[in-house]
Amino acid sequence: MTKDKFLQQLNDSLKRLSEKERADILQDYEEHFTFGLEEGKTEEEIAASLGSPSQIAKEILADYHLDKVTTSATLGNMFRAIWAVIGLGFFNLVIVFAPAIALAAFIFSGWVMGISLIASPLLVIIDAILHPSAFTLKLFNLFVSLALCGIGYFIVIGMLFVTKLAKNGFVRYLKFNVALVKGGLKHDQ
Amino acid sequence: MNVQFKKGVLELCVLVLLDKQDRYGYELVQKISDQIEISEGSIYPLLRRLTKEGYFTTYLQESSEGPSRKYYKLTNKGRKYLYQLIDEWNEFSNGVNQLIKEGVNHDER
Repeated sequence: MTKDKFLQQLNDSLKRLSEKERADILQDYEEHFTFGLEEGKTEEEIAASLGSPSQIAKEILADYHLDKVTTSATLGNMFRAIWAVIGLGFFNLVIVFAPAIALAAFIFSGWVMGISLIASPLLVIIDAILHPSAFTLKLFNLFVSLALCGIGYFIVIGMLFVTKLAKNGFVRYLKFNVALVKGGLKHDQ
Repeated sequence: MNVQFKKGVLELCVLVLLDKQDRYGYELVQKISDQIEISEGSIYPLLRRLTKEGYFTTYLQESSEGPSRKYYKLTNKGRKYLYQLIDEWNEFSNGVNQLIKEGVNHDER
């Protein structure tokens, strides 16, 4: 591979980074080529010992996305970070993706349950409007649904905490995972 | 050697090389690849990450021949981290060496 082709490929794979950061990274590799050429190596030799541009880009992007999700954990950032970490190895598909889906499913079902319990008195009212008969039974339904509504409030409040906790916990898990995949666990972070 | 394992060790190699003097990127890459077989391109992302984490600072220096060089300088935080890594490495390699010694001895008998 020639120098231009190497830099071009790296540049293409790093489209998601800001202009400035990308230029900074490319600068490092351009310098590397310059020094190598001065030593009498060919562009092909230098490119071969650098390794594949797409693999280099993967490492850079995984670092970048983790950085971003640490500063602002929006759903989009979170998803991109998960994706980038998965990209580091197939091994990760199992140990990152599976817990992510399980956790997301748990949180989602918790929210659905809480919200539907809160909404249950509405259903009784709608029922009463559509079928205005059997008054005592309706009254019984109404009280039960009010009780459920109260339980629903507690669940939703609980889910607020759980969601926040899960978000922070998962970001930490991702970082731990990157450290693991990159070799060696660091005790200090 | 296993790729993931090597990457962890690379961090230690880079830090060690910067302990006594500042060096520029290409120099670091050459020093390491003289000793260990690596894909040289992965050193630069490593340098960026360690710089972001505050273990290095960088400065540019003009050189008489060729382009200006980006030098890396170890910070105090980086030096502390280096010593910690060296301890961990020694403990780890001593353990592995011990296991190898015992294992090989048993096989020879």
